[in-house]
Amino acid sequence: MSFREKSAWIALLTYSVVFGAYFLLLWQAWDETYARGLTIGLTIGAVVVLVIVAVALNVTLALLSPKEANAPADERETMIDLKAERISSYVQSVGVVCLIGTLLAGWDAILVAVLLQASLVISELVKAGAQIAYFRRGA
Amino acid sequence: MAIENEIRRLRFDNGEMTQQVLAERVGVTRQTIIAIEQNKYAPSLEAAFKIADAFGVPLESVFRWRKG
Repeated sequence: MSFREKSAWIALLTYSVVFGAYFLLLWQAWDETYARGLTIGLTIGAVVVLVIVAVALNVTLALLSPKEANAPADERETMIDLKAERISSYVQSVGVVCLIGTLLAGWDAILVAVLLQASLVISELVKAGAQIAYFRRGA
Repeated sequence: MAIENEIRRLRFDNGEMTQQVLAERVGVTRQTIIAIEQNKYAPSLEAAFKIADAFGVPLESVFRWRKG
């Protein structure tokens, strides 16, 4: 397994675990009166945890295979990255368009903001998943 | 894939050159060489020329295009 495929696995797992826990906590503690403070607090916490875990795992990975970590992406890896990014952007666009609809329908702004976060997280998961699938398939 | 190659045979003919050595000569990862060798990925023209150069043979001795 190449360095960049391992890195994609790290992204997939960290996003799944951290934001899975984030949305679960938010769902369980959701109270419209305190929604704004709750969302801001949990978001900051989730982002801090995500950055720490992702950096720690990527640094560990780089220390285990420094040669691969320092090498620039080759043409196949660059192509895989671009293909995955394209799929991810479709997902993100659909999410944003749907959420514009919910705003126009009069949904609560904080709820829409949370759903927008979910849309961004899902698009990142799709990107990492697509990268892994392309790496497994060859290209 | 319509593009096939003789990389496996050429590696054998060149003293069982490893995929890692070929990858280093071409400037790609070993996984990319594996994908090319298994006809799962068609390399760029530049990478194709570099692969041919690594074996010291012309491009058409490494790659061929299967019509249809």
